[in-house]
Amino acid sequence: MIRSGNLLLVEDNKDDVELTLRAFAKTEFARKIAVARDGEEALEYLFATGPYVGRDPTILPAVVLLDLKLPKVDGLEVLRRIRASPRVRRIPIIILTSSNEEQDLVASYDLGANSFVRKPVDFVDFVQAARLLGLYWLVTNEPPPRSARP
Amino acid sequence: MTPNVLIVDDSLTVRMDLADAFEAAGFHSLPCATATQARAALAANVVSLAILDVLLPDADGVELMMELRAHPAMASVPIVMLSTEAEIKHRIRGLQTGADDYVGKPYETSYVVSRARELLRDHQRLPTQTATVLVIDDSRTFCEQLRRAFEQAGYGVMTASSGEQGLRMASSHRPMAIVVDGVMPGIDGATVIRTIRLDAALRGTPCVLLTASDDREAELRALDAGADAFVRKEQDLQVVLARLAAVLRSAKTERPDADTLLGPKRVLAVDDSATYVNELAAALRGDGYDVIIAQSGEEAIEMLAVQQVDCVLLDLVMPGLGGKETCRRIKTSPVVRDIPLIMVTAVEDRAAMIEGLGIGADDFISKSSEFEVLKARVRAQIRRKQFEDEHRRIREELLRSELDAAEARAARQVAEAKAALTDELERKNKELEAFSYSVSHDLRAPLRSIDGFSQAVLEDHFENLDEMGRDYLQRVRAAAQRMGQLIDDLLLLSRVSRAGLHRRPVNISNIARTVVDELRRKDPQRSIEFVLQEDVIINADEGLLRVVFDNILENAWKFTRKTPTPHIEFGVIERDAHTVLFVRDNGAGFNMAYANKLFGPFQRLHSEDDFPGTGIGLATVHRIVDRHGGRVWAEGEVGRGATVFFTIPFETGDPK
Repeated sequence: MIRSGNLLLVEDNKDDVELTLRAFAKTEFARKIAVARDGEEALEYLFATGPYVGRDPTILPAVVLLDLKLPKVDGLEVLRRIRASPRVRRIPIIILTSSNEEQDLVASYDLGANSFVRKPVDFVDFVQAARLLGLYWLVTNEPPPRSARP
Repeated sequence: MTPNVLIVDDSLTVRMDLADAFEAAGFHSLPCATATQARAALAANVVSLAILDVLLPDADGVELMMELRAHPAMASVPIVMLSTEAEIKHRIRGLQTGADDYVGKPYETSYVVSRARELLRDHQRLPTQTATVLVIDDSRTFCEQLRRAFEQAGYGVMTASSGEQGLRMASSHRPMAIVVDGVMPGIDGATVIRTIRLDAALRGTPCVLLTASDDREAELRALDAGADAFVRKEQDLQVVLARLAAVLRSAKTERPDADTLLGPKRVLAVDDSATYVNELAAALRGDGYDVIIAQSGEEAIEMLAVQQVDCVLLDLVMPGLGGKETCRRIKTSPVVRDIPLIMVTAVEDRAAMIEGLGIGADDFISKSSEFEVLKARVRAQIRRKQFEDEHRRIREELLRSELDAAEARAARQVAEAKAALTDELERKNKELEAFSYSVSHDLRAPLRSIDGFSQAVLEDHFENLDEMGRDYLQRVRAAAQRMGQLIDDLLLLSRVSRAGLHRRPVNISNIARTVVDELRRKDPQRSIEFVLQEDVIINADEGLLRVVFDNILENAWKFTRKTPTPHIEFGVIERDAHTVLFVRDNGAGFNMAYANKLFGPFQRLHSEDDFPGTGIGLATVHRIVDRHGGRVWAEGEVGRGATVFFTIPFETGDPK
């Protein structure tokens, strides 16, 4: 069950979840991360459906970290559905994935991704990237206002 | 609108006779007695057709014709020359300079009118566009002279200075006509024409051969090669122009092979005896034939080179070339050998008859025969020729349609094979892309775990590990990172092979500067002197060239690490007429014995400890340069530095 958080990580690889959480744990944004293990769970959480039916749907993460290769509903489809929903379409979405293949970059930006970050192999670099991401998206960036009408 | 026919003849009888005949045939006639009157009539009227006498009181008819031809409105109007002159020279001169037909006096009025009608009908089928002429001559001066003359006459002109170039231009530009010099180094004029005639797309192009000689053999050879006409170089440029206009007209109108049996026929009578030949001509003219008289074999051959006839009557015994030799020459020339040829002789000689028929004469007749017999023979021969033509035409059409079908079949097969190959290639490319994609995603994920958790152990259990344990974990991390780099480099190599090539002018100097600026930013403690040649502009794919400079400059940066005063230079030199780009450093260098190994993947000349790297960078550079159709190589010396050279030719290559 996802607990509400300021940052929603959508990632199926347990190692990657662990390492991403560890990377953020080394930053000041440690306790603000919720994790969805596949695309379907991410959508249910955001739309407050399925197991998340009772959740207050007006409470949304400040930013979504989205992997592209996901079981059930893949990352690009999650992105498409978020952008198609009037209520959640303004959430900033960062693609956080293994590759920097041109086709992924193009498809992600075409579907409205706000940012595209390739997870580096070097963990020290990854911690650095996590810190910059947190700083920018949770501190520097001005999120869409909650009161805004869809 | 009634077409105007200009009739210029100083004889009142001729003028009235022809004027009546043309009026009756639905023309409006403009009779003139002198060249001066003709000029005035032309200034006031639009003329569709002109009949010109060769001899005028105030001018030479041929000169008047050339003057008319120079007049834009008259340049392509059919002109028929009339002459009482028995001299064949005039006829040849008239036809060579642009007359469409030539009728000897005394003429048959109906013949003149029907020929005029035919010419007019052909003429009206002409498209009015400007014709482009290809001039092939190794003399630049003559080429330019012709260009000026042709351009003034309203033609478009291309020039080529050799047969090879001419053929290339002919196939790429499809000129309306070709004027080619007979004698050139390399491929000569006759060969050019022969080659043109063998090319399916070009074989219909009219070709005029320029000859320097007045050797009749050469002229016949030119016609054999398929020339539509030849012009001697010493002749006036006006003559060249006129011949060109004539071949363009006849090429476009291309009269069908099978003329009607009832149409006017032209007979070439060759005999050194004026009395006999004039009598013969009179008899044939009475039957409506146009008779051309030649008094020697040489004249006959020259005549045949400028005008097709329907039948040749050839005297056996003549001074000079002689009947037999003339017959042999006519019958061995592919262009004229099909014309029925009747040998005429005073002697009833069985042996001569057999010999004459042996060398190709179609019939043999004695001078003592009555003219009626001779006329019957002429009719028979012409008829036979027409049936043969008709048969040949049908055979050729059949053959052509079979050929066309075979060509279409072959083209289809080629297209199918090509499509299959393209499909196969696309499938392979897709497979490769899918493969790269999963390599990119799936191979890197475990490496992140290996590196990340090794780092986690180092951080969380630092105290529990001894020196060796920490070192081993560092080695695990280093190996994982190195493998990550290898995967990235291999993916890049694969990507530059598949990516489209988008060439445009690129300022290479700016790329080099950007790359060095980035290297400086990443490695600020190093101070390297970088010398750059400004504004080197190359037509290339900018993204791929960036990869080239990333690799080469990164190498230079890396290999000067141990040099006390590092120096890197980018510039351009000219070598063997090629523009060669280079990046030079004064770093570790390499042993030239291994120069050929540098550009293969995974080839390294330095230990990982000394200078880390994957060995894929220069292979990627090689692939990119190769895709631009260029060449890359390196020169170096151990301890003295290395220079990488490469060429990017303008718009060639990319075999992909």
